[in-house]
Amino acid sequence: MSERVETKEEVSNIESILEGLLFIAGDDGLTMDDLVHTMDYDESTIATALNHLKEKYAGQSSGIELDHFGATYKLLSKPFISRYASKLFSQIENHTLSQSALEVLSIIAYKQPITRVEIEEIRGVGCDMMLRKLQARGLIQEAGRSEAPGRPFLYEVTPAFLDAFQLVSLDELPKLPQFGDGSTTGDDNLFNQ
Amino acid sequence: MEFQVTIDQFEGPLDLMLHLIAEKKMDIMDLDISVLTAQYLDYLNAMEALHLEVVSEYLTELATLMEIKSKVLLPHDEMEIEDTYQEDPRARLVARLLEYQQYKEVAQSMNELYYNRSLKYGKPMSEVVDQWLQEKDETTVINGNVEDLVKAMNRVLRRLSLVKPLEVKYAAKELSTQERTLQIKARLSTLPSTFSFDMLCDDCHEVAQVIVTFLSVLDMARLHELVFNVDENHQIWFKKGSAWYE
Repeated sequence: MSERVETKEEVSNIESILEGLLFIAGDDGLTMDDLVHTMDYDESTIATALNHLKEKYAGQSSGIELDHFGATYKLLSKPFISRYASKLFSQIENHTLSQSALEVLSIIAYKQPITRVEIEEIRGVGCDMMLRKLQARGLIQEAGRSEAPGRPFLYEVTPAFLDAFQLVSLDELPKLPQFGDGSTTGDDNLFNQ
Repeated sequence: MEFQVTIDQFEGPLDLMLHLIAEKKMDIMDLDISVLTAQYLDYLNAMEALHLEVVSEYLTELATLMEIKSKVLLPHDEMEIEDTYQEDPRARLVARLLEYQQYKEVAQSMNELYYNRSLKYGKPMSEVVDQWLQEKDETTVINGNVEDLVKAMNRVLRRLSLVKPLEVKYAAKELSTQERTLQIKARLSTLPSTFSFDMLCDDCHEVAQVIVTFLSVLDMARLHELVFNVDENHQIWFKKGSAWYE
């Protein structure tokens, strides 16, 4: 099966192989490296096929989608399916993150690597427990130690963080809102709700 | 007190200050420190009246506010007035408030991303493939850290929950770490030179046994009787350690 003649037929064949592989890999997903090694095609051919597949799923006729978070590609059910899924499996629990968890995660994501003290400096409150919780959930990890006195741990976000926030890389983080930058323009617009 | 807001609605003293500033429509770039301090203090007093424990972090920031207020109120020396570049004592607080506000707001967008992601579900990797993964090159370098071990342990426990029968009969059967270590050592001759934690747990039927096995291998790793490596699929691989060759 590994003769390398790239006919039109074969291109759609690549897509079927990709679809099958992604289905089998499930939640763990597959990286471009995995695919290149497995399929004997070069990266750009696979990337094109992945894009086709993604567009195909984006159509109304499909209930799954092809996502790309961090380095991995994976198949997931589309968001609107969740309504039905929660009826079917009444115990689906959507893990939510508290405001403080979101703040701590955001600070780490934008400023990593960062120490606990630096995070606390920004938020004005301790976050020792929060860091441990986020670490246990696999969203952040230790990234060596800072040169500062006491050599405190540095923290950074994990690939699981990219997945949880649907990002390919940290460059895709939402832009930080700018307040009071430049001139002091009135007061109300700084706090428009 | 016309409208009661409780302190646990706030993420911390900076959040509370931002709330007060917004509520009193103060200009954050030209903060009226004495108004803010008064409001802040009122607030903490109200909290105390309700017998809520006022967290030390709020008191620390109160001290900061007081200090800034006193600096603003004190008459400046002639000398200092001449110094046009004298730093506004409020500047640092304002900078902190602005920075905190950035993250407070971006957390909302992050929450949306997280929420949307949480509506999408994947499925676990197909079971057969999981078994193929065990066939592993025996020359892999062996090393691993604690985090990896935890992930790998979770994997084994997840798998155990899948094989759990629907009905369970309990029979007390205690197994000490020492006994388990001896069992493992006895099995070493029949196991391939590189073996996985899953293989070691083949004869385990309940979580307690897996845990004892885990403790045993930890102890054996400590004594250099085993070395381990955790691969990208969170499988733990073992090899005999240096203690066997001494």
